[in-house]
Amino acid sequence: MKKYVCILLFITPILLLAQRPSPGMSQQKSILIKNAIIHDGNRNAFLGSVGFNNGIITYLQNPAMPDYQTPVFDTIIDANGQHLYPGFILLNTTLGLTEVDAVRATRDFSETGEMRSEVRSVIAYNTDSKIIPTVRNNGVLLAQPTPQGGIISGQSGIVQLDAWNWEDAVILIEDGIHLHWPSRIRTYTPWDDEQASYRFQNNRTKNIYQIEKLFLEGYQYHLSKDSKPVNHKLAAMDGLFTGKKNLYLHADSENEIMESVLFFESLHVKNIVLVGASSAYSILSFIKSHNLSVILSRIHALPSHEDHPIHQPYRLPALLDSAGILFSIDYSGDMEAMGSRNLPFTAGTAVAYGLDYEAAVSVLTLQAARIIGIDDKYGSIQPGKSATFFLTAGDALDMSSNLLTKAYIDGRLINLGSHQYDLYKQYLHKYGLKER
Amino acid sequence: MNIPYNNIRGGLFTYCQTVILFCILLLGINQVNAQQIPVNSIKDERSPIYAFINATLHVDAYTVVENATLLIENEKILDAGKNVKIPNEAIVIDCSGKHILPSFIDAYSTIGMPVGKKTYESRPQYTSSKKGPWYWNETVHPEVHGARLFEFQDESASGLRQKGFGLANVHQRDGIVRGTGAVVALSNHDENKIIVKPYATQHFSFNKGQSRQEYPGSQTGAIALMRQFFYDVEFWKNEKNRKETNLSLEDFLQWEKLPYVLETSDKQEIFRGARIAKEFGFRFVYKAVGNEYQRAADIASLNTTLIIPLTFPQAMDMTNAWDANEASLSDLKHWEMAPLNPSVLKNHQIRFAITSDGCSMPDFFQHMYKACHHGLDSATLLAALTTVPAEILGLSSQAGSLHKNKWANFLITEAYPGHEKFRILENWIMGKQYVTNARTDQTDFTGEYLLQIPELSFFHLKKLVVVGQPQKYQATLHISDSTKIACQIKQEQHLISLHYYAHAMGGFVRISIHKSEKDKWSGLLTNPNGHTYNIWLQQLEVESSQNNIQEKDKPIIGETVYPFRSFGFTATEWKEVENKKSWLITNTTVWTCESTGVLTQADVWIENGKIRKVGRGIKADKDAIIIDGSGLHLTPGLIDEHSHIALSRGVNEAAESSSAEVRMSDVINAEDINIYRQLAGGVTTSQLLHGSANPIGGQSALIKLRWGRSAEQMLFENAPGFIKFALGENVKQSNWGDAYSIRYPQSRMGVEQFYYDMFAQAVEYAKKKEKDRGKNMELEILVEILQSKRFITCHSYVQSEINMLMKVADSLGFKVNTFTHILEGYKVADKMKSHPVNASTFSDWWAYKMEVMDAIPYNASLLTRMGVNTCINSDDAEMARRLNQEAAKAIKYGGLTREEALKLVTINPARMLRIDHKVGSIREGKDADIVIWSDDPLSIYAKPLYTFVDGIQYYSYQRNQELIQRDKKEKNRLIQKMLDAMNNGHQVVPITLKKYWLYDCEDLHADDEELLRIEP
Repeated sequence: MKKYVCILLFITPILLLAQRPSPGMSQQKSILIKNAIIHDGNRNAFLGSVGFNNGIITYLQNPAMPDYQTPVFDTIIDANGQHLYPGFILLNTTLGLTEVDAVRATRDFSETGEMRSEVRSVIAYNTDSKIIPTVRNNGVLLAQPTPQGGIISGQSGIVQLDAWNWEDAVILIEDGIHLHWPSRIRTYTPWDDEQASYRFQNNRTKNIYQIEKLFLEGYQYHLSKDSKPVNHKLAAMDGLFTGKKNLYLHADSENEIMESVLFFESLHVKNIVLVGASSAYSILSFIKSHNLSVILSRIHALPSHEDHPIHQPYRLPALLDSAGILFSIDYSGDMEAMGSRNLPFTAGTAVAYGLDYEAAVSVLTLQAARIIGIDDKYGSIQPGKSATFFLTAGDALDMSSNLLTKAYIDGRLINLGSHQYDLYKQYLHKYGLKER
Repeated sequence: MNIPYNNIRGGLFTYCQTVILFCILLLGINQVNAQQIPVNSIKDERSPIYAFINATLHVDAYTVVENATLLIENEKILDAGKNVKIPNEAIVIDCSGKHILPSFIDAYSTIGMPVGKKTYESRPQYTSSKKGPWYWNETVHPEVHGARLFEFQDESASGLRQKGFGLANVHQRDGIVRGTGAVVALSNHDENKIIVKPYATQHFSFNKGQSRQEYPGSQTGAIALMRQFFYDVEFWKNEKNRKETNLSLEDFLQWEKLPYVLETSDKQEIFRGARIAKEFGFRFVYKAVGNEYQRAADIASLNTTLIIPLTFPQAMDMTNAWDANEASLSDLKHWEMAPLNPSVLKNHQIRFAITSDGCSMPDFFQHMYKACHHGLDSATLLAALTTVPAEILGLSSQAGSLHKNKWANFLITEAYPGHEKFRILENWIMGKQYVTNARTDQTDFTGEYLLQIPELSFFHLKKLVVVGQPQKYQATLHISDSTKIACQIKQEQHLISLHYYAHAMGGFVRISIHKSEKDKWSGLLTNPNGHTYNIWLQQLEVESSQNNIQEKDKPIIGETVYPFRSFGFTATEWKEVENKKSWLITNTTVWTCESTGVLTQADVWIENGKIRKVGRGIKADKDAIIIDGSGLHLTPGLIDEHSHIALSRGVNEAAESSSAEVRMSDVINAEDINIYRQLAGGVTTSQLLHGSANPIGGQSALIKLRWGRSAEQMLFENAPGFIKFALGENVKQSNWGDAYSIRYPQSRMGVEQFYYDMFAQAVEYAKKKEKDRGKNMELEILVEILQSKRFITCHSYVQSEINMLMKVADSLGFKVNTFTHILEGYKVADKMKSHPVNASTFSDWWAYKMEVMDAIPYNASLLTRMGVNTCINSDDAEMARRLNQEAAKAIKYGGLTREEALKLVTINPARMLRIDHKVGSIREGKDADIVIWSDDPLSIYAKPLYTFVDGIQYYSYQRNQELIQRDKKEKNRLIQKMLDAMNNGHQVVPITLKKYWLYDCEDLHADDEELLRIEP
């Protein structure tokens, strides 16, 4: 392992005490990485080579292929049996939209009002966040910055995590609208009067009615938008009816999921992605038959109910996978942005509780890319796709061996330094210690 | 013949007897000094003598005399029993077929008390707003007396009378030290007369009520305040030369000898109360909530008295299958088992009174029946409503039974309490009659009758069937076997009227009858044309299948589990787990966390709670259960140095800058599901810390995760005392909102001076003798720190403040034991090493507030490599399930070896908690706290397969699967039962769920659970 740490040292020779390490320069020379254990994101793993040029994978060699035809590359890197994974994709996250959770001035993920279909996260995505490099260094190379709060929180987009500014970062500026289905569950307080239940139900009905009205009028706008004055709220929803944008439907309980899915299907929404869905395991056939994809909330969670099996959240991915449902996992919840560097390990836990290892890799890569609709370019190691992947000393889903030695986004070599690593180096030096 | 209820136990009644004496004296004064109240009429004083004859007389709960007479004059009983001589002038009332029993006594009531309202203001209030020479804290007001506040309200009194009560003990339900209660008669005389015992009880609770004063803001604070109050009382009592006036303490001392009633909100609070009572050498009577059966054996061992309500939860609406799953097993089980509460208490020989508090009519009687149906005998029920409350209130010689010279407080009823048909006809209070249901001779008209109309012979075959209860009869006329007509029926005194629509005649037929002789009724029938006929009704003998029904109806009840929730153990399961005392784990990889390192193909023998032998080829005794450890890994149980699980009602006593007096051990919630969840993650010991809301927090509790045991049994034996301190943003209230900007300190500068000041006070305090200064719980703890008898765990982030506290400690001659969180510890690792101090940190948290922007995940490895004893903690109920993974991050960040990493959560925390001689490593003689993992414990793929605490296998992966299935089955059974209840016409309520707060350091919530309701 020491060897790989040396590589790590070698590739971060210049300690820039800047806000964040400079983004990598675009790929000038063709590169071949050989002798890597390639986890291709499509549930295969093999010892092979990957070649890429101008940011695109041009060559993939696996054991089934004879290698007498290896093309010529400017640079050849021997991975010595290191693991190569497609860049992990972090969905439904506030990464880049917040810096210090306790400081309001640094929070940019929630707008006022209940129905905010017009707002979009990507333009607020801060490429210079000190948090981003620490997440990237564990293998997360793409993310979906997502607004929060309200009934309709706004639109998420897709970014790559090594950029000078959001324009450079953007992969999809608006990939979908996030909607939080009104809960059926009311907080019950001892001082509730007799009207409390009525008010709750009334309010819920009103909210659902508002959603219905918005979607009906949004659909009408979609059909006749050329003849109507511009309405940004409705215009933002257009993609939902064409299938260009996903409806990210945040719902947890079985009743809420079924109720809301049937509701939106009748309102001409093309692509529904369930987010949260902690009860999904008990209505798998419904999810399957309605062709829904799912983004499960953070796996490292407590069961949502005191009676639930204590390992329920850990087992969810295996249950969804064996039902053949397209799903991914996010890292939403407390300590969301800074904690999302642990995303790979949550997939590791899913493996411990029954998910196939390569399926777990796929959950973080190709399956995520499919859900957000970027699988034509990202998500797997395949010729023609973007050269967005990383090399680690060992198993990337296990914390003790998740040690990145190289990472590329669109063929650009990423600087694996960070504010945290800089401080580490300073104090090693102060105490006269050597890096291990 | 009269066997007095002689089950007096407990020290309470040693002074209760004194109280009784005192009370008699007081009543005497009352009578002598009775004022002449002018009346605006002519004088109408009467002294009637009544004789109630032929009654079934319940002289007391355990003495029943048939065909007895009760003789009363005014408010006194002249005589009662079989051979009572009835004076000629007595008004004789025939009570044949009726029961006469003592009126009930409600030992816990608030009728006639003013209801205050809590006011809200934006700014926090730190000192008492009550002007005058009172106790410093507004929620302590022993000077409030029920007798002085009581205003008679006939409406509420009438409510209690209808439930059968004659006396009630009233107090103002507000505050922690609430003042006294007064016993009032529920008759509508003026207050001078009906307050029969103005000072009967002292009342307490852990709920601060209307007080807006910030302190106490948690249950641990409430308990500390109550204890400090009792210390102040002791000091005040013995202090001869008082230098100041305190009317609160004086008032309390005047009524000090009354029984103390503590209102609880959960069974666990009974144990919290008992801990205080033990400390000060008294006993509480506990106002309970109705779930005491869940810990009956432990309560029985307290040898105490309870006042229990008869509130049973309603069935929930289970029609939606998905929603039904949201109801918790504990709630479903409680729904089924709550009616068992009285009988379980009785079987455990726990003395209890029953209050009607929280239970309205007609539920109150129905629940009595239900309780008896669930195994309570009616004598105990009646005792709980009469003699026991009379004893609690010190009124045994006046009330609670129908002996000569006692108050004429009695009920005339149909059937006896606990009977399905129990009904109160009259409630006589102090000789005054209150009619609840017309006594009359109104007989139960239910039954089957043969109708005879002599003039119309064909009518003979018709039968009338009447079911239900008086006022709510349902009658059907059976014309033939297949034709039945519903009748409208009404009973007025002696008359029964009924009518029905006769199709054949195209109009209404009316029947009016009265009882003529036994089993016979006679009267007139009027047909639609207005013709009248004589009619006779002969009651038919109906074969009584009562006994069979009762046998069949015997409720099927699930088993009690400990704790009372999913994954709890039944008594049988418990025995099985507990009896396995010797285990041999063979051929496994042992991570000793000692200098011996990692042993391969080794055996570990544990016996009687200890590690007996470690090595290869161990021969254990025959009884040892063998676990084949090949391919598995064995480590010491993990130790979480910083946890906030298993705590009730608040983790922060945040009101004041120092809360050294509070103890987390007072509020351990032994039923927190997270105990089990963390056992399943390999944790065996947790330090439950106070939060970080103030520079000097509260005393920590160290527990072992002995799932199923009581709070007391979870405490780590002979653990050294720790206390939480805190620095930085939290203590200066940086993120509390703008209203909270007045408490000292508001800056790091102030924090340092606050410490100096507090310790200076402690030094002064220690110099004085106790008799001169009383006991100050807070300063006492600080003195312990100064004497290095108590150790500090200090929440800290940035280097300046870490450095500061070490300097404060140095200057006062003690050492800081542990810096917890300590995310900038790496910046001052050398200084920490030389202090020396331990470090307890997070693996990789940062960026959640300003003071953690320089936190780095390399912290643990840098500190370790600098020679600072370091551990990884959770501060989070979820993360604690994966402490091994958090430790493994130190391999990734900073390159610790795997052994070094594991020590971060085993021997290192044991060392800093000063318990490393008992736990934290695998060594012969140490506690058998052991985890067996499926894989390398530092791998993300490792799962704990078995967790042992003290050699007992509290968790096994396999058993967990079985428990899941068991609970699923039980839940399903209960859902079916609820659906059945619903289909049988029981009212249902929406499903209520509980959401538990998961505390972290900064949490200021004082409630640990939130109720949610499904509102489809």
